[in-house]
Amino acid sequence: MNVLILGGNGMMGPWVIEALAGRHTLRVTDINEAPPDFAHEYRRLSVADRDGVAAAAEGMDAIVNLSVLREDRTQAFEVNVQGNYNLAVAAVRHGIRRIVNTGPHYQLAGQQYEDWDFDLNPDMPPQPGTRLYALTKALGQEVLRVFSERHDLYVQTLLFMGMRHPGTWLWNRHQPGDKAILGQDLERPFVIAWPDTGTAVRAALEVELARLPSRCETYFTFARSPHRKFSSDKIARILGWQPAYHLEQFWIRPPDETG
Amino acid sequence: MEANHEMNILVTNADNPFAGAVADRLAEHHAVRRIGWEEPLEADAATDQVVAGIEAVVHFALPRAGGDANDLIDHATRRTYNLLLAAVAAGAERCICVSTLRLFEALPAHFTVTEQWRSRPPSDDPALLACHLGEIIAKECARDRLMRVLTLRLGFPEVVGDRGALSGKHGPAAIAASDAADAIARALAAELAQWQEVHVQSPGPRARYLMREAERLLAFPSADSEGAVS
Repeated sequence: MNVLILGGNGMMGPWVIEALAGRHTLRVTDINEAPPDFAHEYRRLSVADRDGVAAAAEGMDAIVNLSVLREDRTQAFEVNVQGNYNLAVAAVRHGIRRIVNTGPHYQLAGQQYEDWDFDLNPDMPPQPGTRLYALTKALGQEVLRVFSERHDLYVQTLLFMGMRHPGTWLWNRHQPGDKAILGQDLERPFVIAWPDTGTAVRAALEVELARLPSRCETYFTFARSPHRKFSSDKIARILGWQPAYHLEQFWIRPPDETG
Repeated sequence: MEANHEMNILVTNADNPFAGAVADRLAEHHAVRRIGWEEPLEADAATDQVVAGIEAVVHFALPRAGGDANDLIDHATRRTYNLLLAAVAAGAERCICVSTLRLFEALPAHFTVTEQWRSRPPSDDPALLACHLGEIIAKECARDRLMRVLTLRLGFPEVVGDRGALSGKHGPAAIAASDAADAIARALAAELAQWQEVHVQSPGPRARYLMREAERLLAFPSADSEGAVS
């Protein structure tokens, strides 16, 4: 497939590109400059640029949206809400049927769920609350849902949180002085190794559309754990995706503590 | 809250003739501050000034004809977010989010559409899609218990004037500004849950939308509610 990756030069982009390279032809966009010696077509572009997104989508078979803005209030709305509107319009204009969207788990399972309940699953109605990042991503997702109801458009949204680098088990491996705290349970039992984010996006990109229960599906995407706080059953069931990293070192106590 | 308590109210988008007409009627019993569509509503001191001393926000989030899609979405989402968070910080305790029953227009006319039905925002009308997104902003403010929110979905078209201004050409879902003002005034005084939706149009023998919640919560329309602001 010809795949447009929006926001492909952020934290997750390299892992997704690594998982897709050699299997698909990639056109990558980001507001940042291209990495040195980048091997794929690259355009410097903000998803808030509607005409630019439409032009970038021409000739594509699928759009993967990795764009994200977390903190600046104006840009968060521009990127997370209007950006999704722009990519949906572009998909309709160019007859692109497949969109893979990404976001944080709490755009769906916000504090009102997470603080209260267990067995949280991705088919619950979204309750993002007013946290800027969660709410703007939820609004962007709602835009895509509305478009999927009205057009021949398949939207799959992968929700992530707590990404870790294999080895250091840190979110950012370049964080000097940081050390992962193992064997003390997780701050939130919703973690995933960075390489697994790429394979999950690949699974959503390559699934037969006929396998999808509806034109708008959302998945919790994380390494399984026995907490039963969140459920990742759906992504295994529908996409057949399994993580390569289980991250059990976070929630299994060290032997010297358990005798 | 006492029914006749005079409140400090902010009415947004009051340069819209319909919203302006509603604001005029509310001003008969409340201290009304108005802002127009062009109000920047950035997350800054100017917005703090707009909401200073306000007890309730009557946010006219009705769809606006014309305009760039991104501007419409920005207005309905970011500016609404900035407005409501600033209002909360200033001590406002309730918001009447004035939306539209056009969000249900895709449903067949013979369906018994009430607040129990999920809205059907279109993808090809950015103004209406934006209106739907604005409703979500207000709802999430309520969910986080920042303020009480009543989403008041009005019939359409919105007609400036009282019920006498309505005619057959307006169709079975129309609302007169007098009725909107009456319902909003009642919502300002009502005991509200944290969040709820209420559908309101001008009453009539062939009215398209049922108004069960308006009757229960707002006693609208009452026998003497010919557009009188209580």
